[in-house]
Amino acid sequence: MYRRRHNITARIFDRQIHTPPPGTSVHRARRFYENIVPSSTIYDVECPDHSFRKFTEDGKYLISFSRNHQELIVYRPTWLSFSCKQEDCDSQDLPQKAKKFESFFTQLYSVPLASANELICKDFFLYAESNQFGLFATSTAQIYDAPATGGAIQGVPSIEKITFHLLRLEDGVVLDERVFCNDYINLAHSMGVFIFDDLLAIVSLRYQRIHILQIRDSGSLVDLRAIGEFCREDDELFLNSSTQASADKRGPQHLLSNNIVNVPRTEQPAQESPFLSGIKQRLLSFIVRGIQNEEKDETLRIQTLKKKFYFHFQDYVDLIIWKVQFLDRHHLLIKFGSVDGAVSRNADSHPAFFAVYNMESTEIIAFYQMSSEELYLLFEQYCDHFHIPSKSSPYMNFISSHSNNIHALEQLKSSKNKATSFPLFIKKVLVSLPFNCQSQSPSPYFDQSLFRFDEKLISAADRHRQSTDHPIKFILRRPPHTLKFKIKPGPEAGVTDCRTKRISSFLFHPILPLALSVQQTLFLQPAVVNIHFRR
Amino acid sequence: MGSWSVGNWPSFDPHNFSQLRPNDPSSKKTPITYHPTHDRTLPPPDQIISSEAKNILLRQFYQRGDEKLRPKRAAPENLAPEQECKHPRASVALSSEPPK
Repeated sequence: MYRRRHNITARIFDRQIHTPPPGTSVHRARRFYENIVPSSTIYDVECPDHSFRKFTEDGKYLISFSRNHQELIVYRPTWLSFSCKQEDCDSQDLPQKAKKFESFFTQLYSVPLASANELICKDFFLYAESNQFGLFATSTAQIYDAPATGGAIQGVPSIEKITFHLLRLEDGVVLDERVFCNDYINLAHSMGVFIFDDLLAIVSLRYQRIHILQIRDSGSLVDLRAIGEFCREDDELFLNSSTQASADKRGPQHLLSNNIVNVPRTEQPAQESPFLSGIKQRLLSFIVRGIQNEEKDETLRIQTLKKKFYFHFQDYVDLIIWKVQFLDRHHLLIKFGSVDGAVSRNADSHPAFFAVYNMESTEIIAFYQMSSEELYLLFEQYCDHFHIPSKSSPYMNFISSHSNNIHALEQLKSSKNKATSFPLFIKKVLVSLPFNCQSQSPSPYFDQSLFRFDEKLISAADRHRQSTDHPIKFILRRPPHTLKFKIKPGPEAGVTDCRTKRISSFLFHPILPLALSVQQTLFLQPAVVNIHFRR
Repeated sequence: MGSWSVGNWPSFDPHNFSQLRPNDPSSKKTPITYHPTHDRTLPPPDQIISSEAKNILLRQFYQRGDEKLRPKRAAPENLAPEQECKHPRASVALSSEPPK
C-alpha cells in the first residue's frame, strides 16, 4: 500500500520513480508548492513610493506606477544573494542589509507615459505574454455631462483623450499607440478591454462600437474591424452608396432624413435613421426569430410576438453594449444593458442580457437574460471556457474555478443550496460575466486543491480588500491538514490606530514563493509593504 | 521485437515485419496473415478526421440556438423556452401579465 509522503526529499525521490497519471503533470508539479511556501516575512520594507500593480503572468516583471501617475517603473524579480558561513544557518536572522526591497527587485527602467494633463490609469494593465508586450492606458479628465454629438449615446460621459500604449517590457520601448478622442472606455480593472493571444477588443461605450485590433509581432496595433453600427468591413461603403442613390431619386427635400450616414461627425444629426443597422439589427432579428419559432399556430404566434417583442421593442432598441469578452478567435460574449446601468456603480439592479456573436458570420448565436437558468448551467459546467484558455501560457489554465476544482464546486453548490431565490442566485453568479481579462493570479498558492484560505480576506482576484490585523492562514487541503504559512499585511506590531480604514492588496509571484502585501490607508499616507518569501 | 514469435499474432499484411530478424535464427516464423471477412468496420472512403474547431461551450451555444430557431413540427418540447425570451421587467410594470 503506497502512502504519500510529505517530506520534500522523499517526494523528489518518488518523482524519480513514479510517473503521474495522464494529464496530471502540472498538478503533480504543483504539489511541491505544499513544501515550498513563503513563510518568512520582512515587515515594512523600505521601498520606493510607487503603487505596485502586479507581476506579469510569466513572472518576469513587476509593474508599478509612480505616485503622480505619470511614469511606469518596471522591476525584475530576483532573489536574495546572501550566504551564511556559520553552522546553524536556519535559526539565524537575515542581516539588516539583506532586508531591503532591492534584494528582491532590480529596477529595469522608468518610462514617462503620460504627458502634462494626462494620468496613467493605474488599474489598467494587460500583458501579451508571447511577445512580452504590455498594454497601458493614459487618459485626460472625465467630462460628465458631455453632449451627445457625432453618434454618441446620451448619458455616457466623455474623456477627451484616451491613449493606449503598447510597450516592449524587455527594454521599455513604446512600440505603438492608439488614441481615442472624445470617447469613453471603461478602464477601471481593464473592464473595457479584453486581450486574447494577439487580439484586442476595446469597447467604446460612447459610440457603441467594439474595436477589434491585432497586436503584430513587430509591435504595431492593426485595426481589424469595428463592430457596432456596421458588422462587416464593407457595410459602411454599401450603405453610403445605397442611401446616396435613393436620395438622388427622391429629391432634395428628403436628403436630410435619408443621408444620415453621410452626415459628417461635426454636424448635429437631425433625425434618426429609418432602419437599425449593424449589431442591433442582428440582435433584434435573432430575438424575433426565436419568439416566432416557439409557436406553431399562426394566430398564437402573432399574439406571442406582440406580447413578448413588440410591446418591449423600444427597450430592446435602447439596449447598449456594456462589456465584451472573447470566447475564441471568432466569437464574442457581449453584455447588453440600459444606458443608466453602464455608468452606474451598482449595475446589479439594472436588467442585463448576454449575447454570443460570431464575428466572421456576423450572426448572433445565443441570447440570454441575466437570470437565465440555461446560461447558469453552462457557466457551472464550462466555467473554464469562459476564462478563455490561452495557448502561450498553459499554466494559466489551472487557475482554480468551480469547473476544474472540486472544492470550489462544493462551495458554489453550498451557496446555491443556501440561496433563498434561485433566479437571484443566478443573477449574483452571472454578474461576473463577461470576465475581466487577466484579473486572477495564477499563483499555485491560490490553488484550492492545495491550500485552504479565507476567500474574503485573500483570493486570486486582484482587488483591494479590507485589511485585518490577524494574519491570513493558508492550511493544507490534503493530509496532514497543517497550517503551512501566514500572510500578515501591515506592520509587524499591528496597527494601533483602529479607526482609520485600511485596505490591502496582495501581489503573488506566479512561480517563485514570493509575495508582496501592500497595506494603505485612504489618506495617501505611504503604504506599508511587506515581502513574504521562503528562506 | 525479439519476442515477436512468442505471440503468434496475425497481421493483415504479410509484408509487415518481413524485415524482422528474430533472435533465434532457427525459428522461421512469418506472421499469420489475417484478412477481415466483413467490411463493417471499414471507414467510409471520404472520411476525414479532424478536431472540432469550436470549443465545447460554443458547441452548446450553437446547439441550443439551432434548437430554438428550428421550426417545430410536433408539439413544442419542454425546453424551458420562456426563460430565454423574458423581457426586462424594470421598464413597464404590467399588472395583467403573468410573471414567468
